[in-house]
Amino acid sequence: MNGSVRSSAGLVWRHQRLVWWIFVVNLVIAWFSSLPARATFSAVLDRSLESAKLVTGFDVGTLALLLERPDVSMRTLASGAAEAGLVFLIYLLFIDGGLFTVFLEDRKLNRAEFFENAGLFFWRMVRLALYSVIPFGLLIAANFGIAGYAGKLSNNAALERLGFFVNIGGKLVIVIVALFVRLWFDLAQARVVRDDERKLCRTLWRSLKLAFGSGRLFASYIGIGLFAAVTFGIGIGVWVYLPHAATGTSFVVLELVTITQIASRLWLKAASARRIALLPVEVELPPPAMDETLVPAIEVTDLQSPPME
Amino acid sequence: MEIRCWRICLMAVAALLTASGAAQSTPLSDRVVAYQIEGAYNAKTHTLDATELLTYTNHTGTTLEKFPFHLYLNAFQPKSTWMTEAERMGNRDFSKGEGWEEKHFGSNEVKSLEVVGEGDLTKQMKFVSPDDGNASDRTVFEVALPKPLPPGQSVQFRIHFVAKFPEVVARTGYKRDFLMAGQWFPKVGVWWNGAWNCHQFHADTEFFADFGTFDVKLILPAKWNVGSSGVQTGAKENGDGTQTLSFHAEDVHDFAWTADSGTIVVEDSIKLSTRTVKIRMLMQPGHMATAPRYMQALKGTMRKFDEWIGPYPYPQITVVDPPHGGGAAGGMEYPTLITADTSWWMPKSLEEPELVVEHEFGHQYWYGMVATNEFENAWMDEGINSYTEAKIMDALYGQTTSVLNSRLATLGERGEYRMSYEPVADRDPISRPAWLFEDNSSYGGITYSKTALMMLTLENLIGEKTVLHGLHEYFEQYKFKHPRPEDFTAAMNQAVGQNLDWYWKQTIYGTQTLDDHILTAGSERVDWYNKAEEKKGVTVYHSEVVVHRRGDFDLPVVLEAKFDDGSAIREHWDGKDRWHRFAWDRKAKLASAEIDPDHGYLLDRDPFNNSWTEKADRKASGKLAGYWTLLTQWLEQALSWLA
Repeated sequence: MNGSVRSSAGLVWRHQRLVWWIFVVNLVIAWFSSLPARATFSAVLDRSLESAKLVTGFDVGTLALLLERPDVSMRTLASGAAEAGLVFLIYLLFIDGGLFTVFLEDRKLNRAEFFENAGLFFWRMVRLALYSVIPFGLLIAANFGIAGYAGKLSNNAALERLGFFVNIGGKLVIVIVALFVRLWFDLAQARVVRDDERKLCRTLWRSLKLAFGSGRLFASYIGIGLFAAVTFGIGIGVWVYLPHAATGTSFVVLELVTITQIASRLWLKAASARRIALLPVEVELPPPAMDETLVPAIEVTDLQSPPME
Repeated sequence: MEIRCWRICLMAVAALLTASGAAQSTPLSDRVVAYQIEGAYNAKTHTLDATELLTYTNHTGTTLEKFPFHLYLNAFQPKSTWMTEAERMGNRDFSKGEGWEEKHFGSNEVKSLEVVGEGDLTKQMKFVSPDDGNASDRTVFEVALPKPLPPGQSVQFRIHFVAKFPEVVARTGYKRDFLMAGQWFPKVGVWWNGAWNCHQFHADTEFFADFGTFDVKLILPAKWNVGSSGVQTGAKENGDGTQTLSFHAEDVHDFAWTADSGTIVVEDSIKLSTRTVKIRMLMQPGHMATAPRYMQALKGTMRKFDEWIGPYPYPQITVVDPPHGGGAAGGMEYPTLITADTSWWMPKSLEEPELVVEHEFGHQYWYGMVATNEFENAWMDEGINSYTEAKIMDALYGQTTSVLNSRLATLGERGEYRMSYEPVADRDPISRPAWLFEDNSSYGGITYSKTALMMLTLENLIGEKTVLHGLHEYFEQYKFKHPRPEDFTAAMNQAVGQNLDWYWKQTIYGTQTLDDHILTAGSERVDWYNKAEEKKGVTVYHSEVVVHRRGDFDLPVVLEAKFDDGSAIREHWDGKDRWHRFAWDRKAKLASAEIDPDHGYLLDRDPFNNSWTEKADRKASGKLAGYWTLLTQWLEQALSWLA
């Protein structure tokens, strides 16, 4: 484990309150969003003996018949889930300012400080998110392209498995590029917060250059991404082997998986924040008076930054 | 010397018998047709240049003046009825609006047609479109004979044709070095119910033909493995990179063959009640892991058919495993040859390969021997076969796990049928000709699923053994014949000793749907005006259950009521009125009520409203809502990747 991974993990651990907080909001939004689903399923299943097929096992036919009922509108339920996703995204964009301040300064902020920073940077975070739609959109398009090409290979190539391996390989590359894009935008977010940067295009350009020059940090991102994938796999693996009727235990296991995913995401942010915290602050001086001698820009080292490792 | 002559004579007779295979055996069918086809396949152009000598014997009892022929491969052209319907409604091979690609072009061009002894009739060939009047459809042509054919007489047609195979579509065509040759030769129509029956090829129809014999000789690339209907009777290397193979099939109504440069041949045999049958599987090298699964499913299916329906009379069954990208050739039945379907990654928990092999072998009975009209009565082969598929897959792999058997989830055949039937339950009657269904979903949901559910529901009415006995009797009566729907219902009625016309009328010919549900249920004390405290086992309660017939299907109803003292009672209602009230006065409260407590009325569209419990149990809804919450959380996280 390199220093960056270890120290950013320490940051997340020290400020784990944030993980729990985000998790609770994630759960609460989802819970409220799923109330119509709960009511719909309850009206059909609670007094029906047929429901046993979904408790003692998981009969796909029974589930399909349930979802085919006119009073169970999957479209309505799915749009509720999508709305919940948007609300959570806005919430995360809102707290990003406070969150990066905590990671940059490695101290506990009081509520007023946290939300002051959250509010201060909210629109800039929204703008960065909108900018990020472009590279992520391109990646999604590339993913479709690769999947389509792989599908054609699966049908037409002489080697039967070629399409599969092209698909898997392509997806792996896309995941790695997506991690890089995330690193780029995380660095931009951290820089915006540390420097109160308002010129986002310039920040993005500098962050992109920094991302290209941060090989160790990118390796950390891949490592943390791997950790998230492995813990997800382990969690699902445990869940698969739980008895069908162990609904409560299943829920707990899968929520633990969710917490791990949230923690991993914060771990990435913390790693970027640490990287930015170590950079010298560029102070932009006001334009000199006409009759004054030009003074070169000075560099001020952030005294609150943790020492280099 | 005499002895030596006798020996030579005996050996010569034996050799002749061997050479002609089982041709000398007692015919099982009336053998209306005898096809002798010789052709050479060009693997580069995917074409077959062939000559067909068809001998047709008139068993119709009437003089025949004209003959219709199918040219099925002409369906694969942009203006054909098949392609037009597939484009507009979608089918197994095409989704709606998928468009035309040149690789799907196929054709069957008749170069010359001669009636032996009567002259060349090529110029008199006339394309007809009896179903939709599509002048661009060239899947059926007719010729008038110079001299009408009297009953009992034979006529011979010599047809020179070139078949151009499409890249595999609708279970015929090529994929790289693989070729599945189905519906590849000009095939004469069937004189049925006093008229010629020769429909155009439609997007959702299959085939119909007369029984007879086939002697086929093919020139193919050397070293290619070949499988076919019937049995191989000869092989010769030509020394020019080709080989000539001969095949013979009898008492079948079609002949299909396959060739591939890269398959592995797996052979085995199975001893059934009347004969030992050779099993020949042509496997793709990358699919060898599935070979034991195919074999186990095939043997299990053959044994069950032998036990329940009747003996398999042919010496061989060939299973073809199509290559990757050639899935459109998979899951198809031809006489004594079936195509399977799998892939290199097929998980063991997904019993798709087993299911396909079971289904296609079942067609050896329901299509192969009981040769129904697949154009007009698709349910009689696909539907009845789906019923026996459910029975056999249940027996071999479990009733609730015969499609999917994983730790996470399970699915049985019955569940799968209900899933596809429910969305289209009242759209089309089972009896509708295949090309007239509303769309492909309705065709599948009704023809396959509703028919199977009809038979499974019938089990609940008259008993499983009775239904299987009826099916056995129907098979014995109509094997090697072309029964009509009324033949099936009459045979079943007779075999089970009951007039079930009221049932067939609703299920086969009607679009009635079944949805009985519990409208109200509950208990209150008989002395409701009494303020005294209720005492368990002493206080008398009046319990009621009102069953409402929400659908328009009449079916007797069985209701099971359970009370909180542990007692239970079963009641019956003829199901004719719109609703019925069941009532009891007992020293116990109603705990639950359930319509169809044996869960046998699989035609019922909504199983959830068939029961009622006094106490609500939130386990299932809680579980689903919990998972829904979790999925929403993960969706939230996925979107938050932007933050």
